[in-house]
Amino acid sequence: MSSSNGRASELGNLSQATVSADSDDEYAEAVLDARLGRDARDVLEATVVLEAWTGRPARRAMGHARRLVRLDGPSPRAISDLDPFDDSSQHSVVAEGIALALLILSVAAWASPISRQLGPNVLSDAIRVALPIAVALQWGLRSRYLSRPEGLECLRRDGMSVLLWCLAVAVLPLLLFHGWGPVAAMMVPVWVGGTVITMRGWGLLYASVLVVGTLAMEHAVNPYIVLGSLAGITLLICLAAVRTVSARTDLRAGSMRRAILAGLIGGFIGVLLVADPSLGWGVHGRHPAIALLPSAIGSFWGGYYLWNFYDAVPRGLRGVPLKGASRIALSDPAMSIFVGGIARLLGGTVVLSAIVIGVGHWTHGTDAPSVFVAFGLVGLLTLLVGLLEAFSLYRAALIATGAALATELMWRSTLHATVPGGALVAGAAVGVMLSLPVLLIRLARSGGVLATTLWIQ
Amino acid sequence: MGYWPGSSGAPTIQDVRAGRHTQPSAETAPDRRFARPVVSRHVGHPDEIGHRGPISAKAVGEASGHAEPQARPRARPRVLLITEGTYPYAVGGVSSWCHALLTGLSETDWDVLPILAGRKHQRPSVKLPPNTRLLRQIDLWSESNPPRRLHARRVAEHGSLPAQLLRGLMPWEGDLEGLTAALVRCRRNPESIRPEFRGRESWEAFVSELEQLMMDSHRDSAPAPIYDAIEAARLYQALYWVARTAAVPTPACDVIHVTAAGWSGIPAIVHKAMYGTPMLLTEHGVYVREAYLASVREAAARPGHGHISPRLALGMTRAAYAAADVIAPVTEANADWERGLGVDAAKIRVIPNGIDPPTEYTAPPNIKKVIAVGRLDPLKDVQTMLLVAKEVMRRLPEARFECYGPPTLGQEMYADACVVMHRQLGLGDRFRFMGGTSDPNGAIRSGDVVVMTSISEAMPMTLLEAMGQGRPIVATSVGGVPSVIRGCGLIAPPGDVHELATAVVTLLCDPALAARLGRRGYERVHRKYTLSRCLGAYDRLIRELAGTVAA
Repeated sequence: MSSSNGRASELGNLSQATVSADSDDEYAEAVLDARLGRDARDVLEATVVLEAWTGRPARRAMGHARRLVRLDGPSPRAISDLDPFDDSSQHSVVAEGIALALLILSVAAWASPISRQLGPNVLSDAIRVALPIAVALQWGLRSRYLSRPEGLECLRRDGMSVLLWCLAVAVLPLLLFHGWGPVAAMMVPVWVGGTVITMRGWGLLYASVLVVGTLAMEHAVNPYIVLGSLAGITLLICLAAVRTVSARTDLRAGSMRRAILAGLIGGFIGVLLVADPSLGWGVHGRHPAIALLPSAIGSFWGGYYLWNFYDAVPRGLRGVPLKGASRIALSDPAMSIFVGGIARLLGGTVVLSAIVIGVGHWTHGTDAPSVFVAFGLVGLLTLLVGLLEAFSLYRAALIATGAALATELMWRSTLHATVPGGALVAGAAVGVMLSLPVLLIRLARSGGVLATTLWIQ
Repeated sequence: MGYWPGSSGAPTIQDVRAGRHTQPSAETAPDRRFARPVVSRHVGHPDEIGHRGPISAKAVGEASGHAEPQARPRARPRVLLITEGTYPYAVGGVSSWCHALLTGLSETDWDVLPILAGRKHQRPSVKLPPNTRLLRQIDLWSESNPPRRLHARRVAEHGSLPAQLLRGLMPWEGDLEGLTAALVRCRRNPESIRPEFRGRESWEAFVSELEQLMMDSHRDSAPAPIYDAIEAARLYQALYWVARTAAVPTPACDVIHVTAAGWSGIPAIVHKAMYGTPMLLTEHGVYVREAYLASVREAAARPGHGHISPRLALGMTRAAYAAADVIAPVTEANADWERGLGVDAAKIRVIPNGIDPPTEYTAPPNIKKVIAVGRLDPLKDVQTMLLVAKEVMRRLPEARFECYGPPTLGQEMYADACVVMHRQLGLGDRFRFMGGTSDPNGAIRSGDVVVMTSISEAMPMTLLEAMGQGRPIVATSVGGVPSVIRGCGLIAPPGDVHELATAVVTLLCDPALAARLGRRGYERVHRKYTLSRCLGAYDRLIRELAGTVAA
């Protein structure tokens, strides 16, 4: 009896233990369901959940996990999350575009008064020196600060001394040159400061200052006084734009090495623009710089579209299986954005060039189509090289711009062509031919470009 | 892989190296072969590497070439301490422990190599002791390029680096030998990393390897989710940074001390494989457990999500465990995890944290005030604490809560959610978020009870500080918490609002019990968890590893 009772008691204990283990497992399963909302991916995941949310010691949790986890289900398909795209930096795009157009128009408008008051070659000489310096500084600043999130905040933290130091090094030596020197020295801060101001979203304010300066110039005020005032006011606004950035940041600025390389590329493009004497900044027509307007606007439009690259490529690849992302297709996000950007640039430039040529007799601007082709090609080269620079393909960018410049200089010295802008057309075309294949090879496979180019810099 | 085999006694380092797992004998002399001289660019002998542990000469491949000069034991060992997101930039937790270690072991020379997530400016939060040299930090996900050498050597064909790293890190049981060889290759040819990762062939080899990996299965793991192109690119990028981390040069040292089994293990693995320097790994939290927890929080209910991060952590952890000569968890609960992840029990030596407790006991003020000290972080489960406070106040309206600690960097949204919840619960001034404090002991002393609602802990300093200040504790039964506060407080399951609230109310309503538990805690800290005990254990261990004798 006692034995039988004992056995019954043992069985009872065993059955109780089984029930207890079952209910324990049920509870553990419920916790897993509640915390994961799906099957656990592996034993460790289930262990961690049970340890954290039931307080079981790890060994016990692991025991439950191994009993409960089902590992034979079909593999789930990952559809990646992406952070929402912050497009706040694009809100000022219209103002930025207006400021760019007004900058070009005002430079065009300065031609006559400056030539009248300071001599015929002062403006063209000044532009030939100031433009490469300004473009180089703009590219360097964009690379280190302006093209990145919280770039202005970084600029503020690093101190305006960075900007002022750059300007001092680039500008002060120009003052030593009589005639065009002071004009160039005053143009550089107007252009470079304008870039910072427009990036701050104060493009319309900058545009207004340019309009007032241009009106003063038209009313025969001394060009030195007007340009000096413009440079001073631009620098003050620039200072205010940076100093009034609201948030402090602990983000790093871009690398100095990359900024220097970007500056070098920008400098090459600047020299490319001014190295063709046939363009005659200030010689052909009353408002020659107007010819630059179509390509600048087209380039701005194309570039603005390409701004989406870093967001649109990952978004377009979201949920795309690996094999699909490795194929070559024009409809893939990287290639379609690239083609879209180029189409905007070319379309905008062609249409605007036609308009400018059409109204050429009224504006007294350049009406030679070759000049528009030259500037259009430079716009295309700038866009392509900008993309190479953004992908950290500095060597390719430097080779393309360097070859373009070399071709232009060779053309100028050997052929002495009479076609306006011929040397620039040749140089820019070589640059485009060198940079385009590099990009096409990179962009052909969207999955690859994301992994190997965009996310590994 | 075996999970949690029975634990055994702690043998010496020599036993571990020699594969003997017996108790140490008094005569066991330190193995002088492993003592490191202060010379740079020395390379361990191939045979040494082969005999030193799980990383074989074959794995190292061409890493070894020249015999290392015979080391002469030095009285002051030089230790390379590799930290990850903590010392000397963060405050509290592991950072405080590092600072106490460096300051306390003044007869040791320290080089600190911090690893940080890049793009941020960081300034040390403490003044480094004079025996410490801060090395240039490793910035993950930054813009910097790998180091370049004037005369870069031509790299022989070794196969695709990304694919090799993938094979080593991402499968449930990765190819650790291949991984070590790949990491050593990164150190030897840093300038080749970026071009390799940016090359189309490497990407294609990686994709093909990844497709293979997605088909693999293991008895403890379901097949990997089917990655989309973005997940694959993210993984590729993470592997690039693994390679970059491996490429960073490390200075000559006698011992490498790693403070987490993740990223900070990578330079150590390479250094050990190349020079044979002994490696000590201290685990405060279990790296892989925390990675899984973070992934569970972020990716719950989304089937294909959150696979990369825990799997990468698992790969890095296994590699660090394999390379380490000694693993020193701060609590037995961590040791359980380590054994469960396949670590030889003989390698494990538990060294609990310690504090400098006050010499006199002060009784709780009996003002019905509850103190919490800890960052506002999902791992601390502050939201459960808010619910506990609500419940306590329902039962005991005069109760007050003060929660000290800033939001964890990157968890600001969680902190905001806690503030919203605080408002919704109508806790008002009776529960106050106090922000960070430079005087946690003073904060703890001002209350009657210390509460901790974490879902993951190893051996939290806050508990030791509470015990040192003679305050009873209400805490969740996670990690090493139950074993630390045994008899000095009340334990409840994590997330159990009712039980936690009952425990708090019990202590607030019974000051005598609270004082008794507090007194016990005070005595227990003096008995078991003093800083001098902790430092003494590390001093002995480091000298043993370095093969040096005390000066």
